[in-house]
Order: sequence, then structure tokens, then C-alpha cells
Amino acid sequence: MNKENCEEILMALMAVFDGEKTDLSPEQLNSHLASCENCRTEIEQIQSTFALLKRQERQPSEANLWSAIEPRLQTKIYWQPFVFLAVFLVAYKFAEMLSASDPGFAFKIVPLVFVAALFVFLKENPFKINTELILEK
Amino acid sequence: MDDAAAIEKIQQGESDAFRFLVESYQKQAVAHAVAILGDREDAKDAAQEAFIDAFRSIKTFDKTRRFYSWFYVLLRNRCYKIAAKRRETQNLEEIEIIAPQEGLAREDKIALDRALMALPADDREIIALKYLDGLSYAEIAERLEIPRGTVMSRLFYARKALQTNLEKKYE
Repeated sequence: MNKENCEEILMALMAVFDGEKTDLSPEQLNSHLASCENCRTEIEQIQSTFALLKRQERQPSEANLWSAIEPRLQTKIYWQPFVFLAVFLVAYKFAEMLSASDPGFAFKIVPLVFVAALFVFLKENPFKINTELILEK
Repeated sequence: MDDAAAIEKIQQGESDAFRFLVESYQKQAVAHAVAILGDREDAKDAAQEAFIDAFRSIKTFDKTRRFYSWFYVLLRNRCYKIAAKRRETQNLEEIEIIAPQEGLAREDKIALDRALMALPADDREIIALKYLDGLSYAEIAERLEIPRGTVMSRLFYARKALQTNLEKKYE
């Protein structure tokens, strides 16, 4: 039996032990177990450990977080003024730079900058709290 | 009041309704954070920050989901952020993940707690969700936002690692 085969069988056996469905039939699992002593030994060891663990519960944790959370709920982040200030400053800087150069260039670049800024602003709020999973280790 | 009613009220601007959610889930949240972080104070900090994140992003809450499954993603993010920043020197062996109960010998409980604490945080987390919380593979997949097949394989390797840790303790 190769290692990949055994892993797949053990994974399926543990899923059955956990009361879950698997892609492998009981006949496939039994015929593998009948011919593979390593898998038989391994599954017996794992089952005895996890039969014990399955009967346990989490240690409850005492917590009273509301008193610390409540005052912070009223602290809103007013981010809009900062965005408008940033857009204004960028626009001012552009106007300052463009006045010294060819005005034809300004006509071309300003609408593009506006569209790009609008697109970025509407597509993604940089202050939004991330609710997607990020697994950091 | 139930979760849906509380969320509805919070979305309409009644922030006091958030107290109901905090008080309903704070113990569970801290227990889950302890299993990831292995430190009670860090776990409380993570839970507190995650509740504030939940309050601030409650308008994006998908009403077809259960509140705690959605909140759990925020909690995990906070836990892994704290884990990345925190000090290294902690006596993780003193943390109890498993509740004492009749029929479980004290030395077996200590061995299980220590073997769990010696696992990487994500292995410990998935084992606890499966065996201590009794969640199905589909429920774990929803909590961790991973496919069911990934739950199966991650559980497989986490179980092997736990088995190895337990064998070391008894050698």
C-alpha cells in the first residue's frame, strides 16, 4: 500500500468515526483495512485517544466584557473629513503643478484623475473593518 | 430578544441592543480565544476587540448566517494579530482547555491539556472545535471559511500531531 492511499483511507475512516460522509464506500475501507496492518494499528490508536477527547468539554471562561466595550461603542471614526481633505490637497497640488506647464496637458489629465479617484473611493473604503478571514501565524 | 432582533435594533442605531450579543457570547468567545492564544488575558483582549469590530461592521452582517459564525471570523483575526505581536515567554502548560469532569482522571486531563497546548494554534483550534464543541465538518468549514475537504485533511494532520504529543507524554 502506498502512503497516499493509506492517508486517504485513514482520513475517510476518521470521518466515519466522526459521523461524517466520505467519498469512499464501507467496502473499500474494509478491504483496505483487511490488507493493511499499519492502518489497522494507527486507526485503533487514534480512535482510543479521540473517544476520550470526544467526551470532554471546554473549560468555561469567566468574562464580563461589557463594561470595557460600552464606552468604546460611542467613539465613531469620522473618516470622511480626512478623505475630503486628502482629495482637496491632491487636487490643489495638481492645480499648482499644472499651472506651470502646458494647459493642454491639464485638460487631458484632470478628468482621468477624477475618474480614477472616484473609482478607487467607491470601490473600496480604506477604513472598512475586514470581515474576511486572514490566517496570520 | 433573540440574535436577529438584537442585530436589527443595532443596525437601526440602538447600540444598547449590542449588550445582549456581548453577554450572550462573551464566555464562548473568550473560551475559543484561549484555545487559540493559550493566555486568558490576551483572550479577553481579543474578544473585546472582536466585539468592537463586530459592532462597527454590523451593517455588513449577512442575515442568512448565524451571528456567532460571522463573529468567529473577526475573533480569529484578532487572536492571530495578538499572537503575532505578543511576547514569547509564556507558560502555556498552565492553561486548561478541558473542563474537569467526573470519569476523567486528573493525570489524563493534564496530559490532554498539555498535548493540546503543545500543538500549533490552528491545529489546537480545529481539534477543539471538533471534539470539545462537537461541531460537524460543515459547521467547522463555515466557521473557518474553508472547504469541507480542507477541514477533513487539517483534522487528520492535527489528530496525528496530538497523538504524537500524547505518546511523548507517556513515554
